[in-house]
Amino acid sequence: MRKVTIRGLLARKLRLALTALAIVLGVMFVTGTLVLGDTLNRTFDALVGTAYGKISFEIRGTAAFSKASAYSGTDRNPIPAALATAVSRLPGVAYVHGDVSGYAQFVDRQGSAIGSGTGNTLGLSFDPNRQLSSYRLVEGRAPTAPDNVVMDKATATKHHFAIGDRVRVLLPGGARTFTISGIVTFGGDDNLLGITLAGFDQRTAQALFGLRRHYDTIEVLAAPRADSVRLRLAIEKLLPRGVEVVSGRTVINEATSAISNALSFISTTLLIFALISLFIGGFTIFNTFTITIGQRTRELALLRVVGANRRQVFGSVLGEAALTGLLASLIGLGLGVVAALGLKALLKAFGVLLPSAPLVFEARTPAVALAMGVGVTVLSAVLPARRAVRIAPVAALADHTQDGPQSLRRRRVSAGSAVAIAGLGALLAGLTEASILVVGIGALALFVAGGMLVPLVARPLSSALGRPLAALLGAPGRLGRRNSTRNPMRTAQTGAALMIGLALVSMIAVLGNSLATSAKHNVDSAVAADYLVTGSDAFSSSVPAIISRLPGAVATTTVYKGQFEFRGSLSTIAAASVAGLPKTVNLHLTAGRGAPTMAAGQLLVDQNTANTNHLHVGSVVAVKFAQTGEATMRIGGIYAYNPLVGSFITGTGFFLSHFNNPLPNAVLVSTASGTRGFETTLNRALAAYPNLNIQSRAQFEQAQQNSINQLLGLIYVLLALAVLIALIGIVNTLLLSVFERTREIGLLRAVGMRRRQVREMIRSESVIVAVFGAVIGIVVGTGLGAAAASSLRHSSVTTVAIPVPSLIAFLILAAVLGLIAATWPARRAANLDVLRAIATE
Amino acid sequence: MIKRLSPLASHPRYWLSGSPRGLGGGARQVGPVTYGERRRSSCAARAVEVTKIYGSGETAVRAVDGVSIEFERARFTAVMGPSGSGKSTLMHCMAGLDAPTSGHTFIGDEELGLLNDTRLTDLRRDRIGFVFQSFNLVPTLTAAENITLPADLVGSTVDRDWLNYLVSNLGIADRLSHRPSELSGGQQQRVACARALVRRPELIFADEPTGNLDSNASTGVLTFLRQAVRDHGHAVVMVTHDPKAAAYAERVVFLADGRIVGELLAPTSDAVLEQMKRLGA
Repeated sequence: MRKVTIRGLLARKLRLALTALAIVLGVMFVTGTLVLGDTLNRTFDALVGTAYGKISFEIRGTAAFSKASAYSGTDRNPIPAALATAVSRLPGVAYVHGDVSGYAQFVDRQGSAIGSGTGNTLGLSFDPNRQLSSYRLVEGRAPTAPDNVVMDKATATKHHFAIGDRVRVLLPGGARTFTISGIVTFGGDDNLLGITLAGFDQRTAQALFGLRRHYDTIEVLAAPRADSVRLRLAIEKLLPRGVEVVSGRTVINEATSAISNALSFISTTLLIFALISLFIGGFTIFNTFTITIGQRTRELALLRVVGANRRQVFGSVLGEAALTGLLASLIGLGLGVVAALGLKALLKAFGVLLPSAPLVFEARTPAVALAMGVGVTVLSAVLPARRAVRIAPVAALADHTQDGPQSLRRRRVSAGSAVAIAGLGALLAGLTEASILVVGIGALALFVAGGMLVPLVARPLSSALGRPLAALLGAPGRLGRRNSTRNPMRTAQTGAALMIGLALVSMIAVLGNSLATSAKHNVDSAVAADYLVTGSDAFSSSVPAIISRLPGAVATTTVYKGQFEFRGSLSTIAAASVAGLPKTVNLHLTAGRGAPTMAAGQLLVDQNTANTNHLHVGSVVAVKFAQTGEATMRIGGIYAYNPLVGSFITGTGFFLSHFNNPLPNAVLVSTASGTRGFETTLNRALAAYPNLNIQSRAQFEQAQQNSINQLLGLIYVLLALAVLIALIGIVNTLLLSVFERTREIGLLRAVGMRRRQVREMIRSESVIVAVFGAVIGIVVGTGLGAAAASSLRHSSVTTVAIPVPSLIAFLILAAVLGLIAATWPARRAANLDVLRAIATE
Repeated sequence: MIKRLSPLASHPRYWLSGSPRGLGGGARQVGPVTYGERRRSSCAARAVEVTKIYGSGETAVRAVDGVSIEFERARFTAVMGPSGSGKSTLMHCMAGLDAPTSGHTFIGDEELGLLNDTRLTDLRRDRIGFVFQSFNLVPTLTAAENITLPADLVGSTVDRDWLNYLVSNLGIADRLSHRPSELSGGQQQRVACARALVRRPELIFADEPTGNLDSNASTGVLTFLRQAVRDHGHAVVMVTHDPKAAAYAERVVFLADGRIVGELLAPTSDAVLEQMKRLGA
């Protein structure tokens, strides 16, 4: 008897640990996300502090757009350089520096551009005065001549540049060669978050970035003990219209909030996946408690017999849950810090140079993590606890029944069906209205309904799924199949966790595949050009001329893009030269005319924009440009959505008159039919611009798909944890079932079942449960994915493409994972003591 | 029959001879026997100096203490004794469900201690039938599936005529498609009997087969077991503490404190009761 007690205790400890593991992983994910988010925030705040900390005032152009990102600065006009001289003469001003910045990218010794991706390269006017600048000269001297440049230490070290070396730099006006006069650091770091820096003397920078006698901003350092209020008033008196002065504090706050907005997007996304993991963990807990309450019926009934009241029984179950949740959350909290460290290391491995700041552990982190961990555990245990309360004291005397009550069936069917119908209705309504929100609500309702109705199909479906296994493995497979159907509720609940995981995975797969296929299709129908030249950041305005002179190029179109306000909301406007347009871009006009109206400076909008704004050809709309202010434009035509162009397009003439020195966004080239070797010609002609991306149409299509697939991969990785937790749920249920069926397994062993056959039996059951969850999940997920994809059909999705090979792969993967999940329970079952089955109680 | 509690002083390796198969049909195989041919012929199971100790040190319990015994073919033997006498432990060791601490156990000529788990399992499946006191049947399988389970486990078929004979003889022919939960206790034990006999094993071990049954149901099961011995030549070993059940056997072996303390041939229930009383006194 003591042996039985100890074994029972051990089994419960094990169960506790496994239940806890699901919560540990969920809490770990939550904690890691929070810690990483806080750490990045703190790190960036520190950087902003380093960059702007010494500034007393900043003078800058006023923001043209109401909702534009304050940090981007693209909507601010340059200010006259003379203002700096005037400000520097004011009493109380210690130092003034005019800042100029723009695109400048180094070229390494092999001829490749250093640093890729938007915002990874920076050129600016180097301020040798240390009173304001955060850049420190560590070697050489500041740039003084027009061919001098200072380079950040990280780039110099990585690409082996030294003082006196010649280096080519890509600039808005083309490539130029400079002599390195000095090496700089940013504060104590070798550069600013991996951004390469090219520093020029002020006059050179102005020339290079097209800002003659102008600055982007003027930074002012007040003298010690100067009256800042009076100084600010004095500065304001000097300012012309469209120029403002703000305190250094404001600059820091704007930058900080812009960064934390950007970071919070990452944190929120990660947090969503963390919550999915916790949700699935909740399923595991619910399942475990339901099963163990069933197994402890006699014990609980005995408690009732000796006088425990219902509330005490309820409390004891919830107390156990709370304790488990607390313990698991504490462990998850500790592991979460490690997870954050790992994520940080991962970011570093991907080239993001984070300044060496310690991890930030805010007081909110443990509070949120513990509340979530304990909350999910206790909530999941509420229903099982209510079941425990309903156990009659007389159950202590009766032979304990293993199978749970099968009641509530009718209520479950009607409630589940009602929710399903509501969800389906919302889904259909959302599809006809093409509203992603309504589709989302419908999807959620279907999820819930699925969870309620799944137990109904558990028996027939797992029986059907088990048939091939039974045929393949004989008696053990047949027994595994029977075991998977003996308690449909348990099978359903165990499979449901995996179902949700796989539904999400399949939904993403269907949506992603539809997006990728549509992207290819869209590019196909939007682009007529044979080659596309794009820059990772921006590229020299001399490029289009080079391309158009190439032999074989029949038509070249230069595309510009810029921000403007369309009816008060910030949007992107494209512009294209009209001449070659029909041969490079397919604008499918549904109303009005294309090229002639564009040449006349009219605006073309896509069908979707026209519909939502009730626009037709000839309508006049209010627009606003950063440089030129408010204006009106006439709608010249309406076209079907074009992913290359976007929603708004006009002629280059109009565009160039409203933007200062814009850089081309892309050059599209069409070649004469039968032209051979044009790609080589193109590459050779543009060899001086290694930052350019030269792609054939097929390559461009592929690149579009690749970027979608990359995103898919990331989402799969994030969902993997949820699937892992679902698997832990399967392990847990199987272990409990094995424990529950000790006598039965012993009997089977006694009458001649080999250990291998016992393992096969458990594995069969596991595979059936896993495939059961996977099948439902894949079906539900495919439906949801197709629904979501078709709700996007007015914007980017033109084709709903179901990735059948991927879905089959998921199914096979689920079966394999089921097999893996069974390893431990199968071993335990196979190693059970035969005698325990026949030893009398 | 003569008592065969032989001295058995020789080394047990002498009995390791011949193939375990082909013993049921009366085929006689002569291996490289040095001790004596009679050893391999008429006994279905044998224990030699079997000792089973639970625990260790001060708390060690000798459940079985140096028992040597043979169970003959075509004989119904009952093992009796008060609870804690070691009768169940002895049976578990002899049926290959438990390993003795010392000594040797044989089914036919096969020494169980020399078999690995898989071969021991196969031996139980192919050569021994089991009827336990309770929890005899797999709850997910129907009565018919429970009966054919040993055959299904090896992937073979059963003799349909024999199966039909068994189930009609046991009166469970109309219950075959039912799950164990839908059967009465007596029916469940009769299904277990059918399973024990369906592959015609050499030996049937019955551990308190009537322990949970009323007298009517008990009579049915016991009559059937006796019939299996008389009509079909099976060896049945039944552990029981019920003198009335023991009276169905042809031979009763008495155990107390892990040792054999007596034996009765052609017992009556009164004689058994008398012997038990003496043991208890």
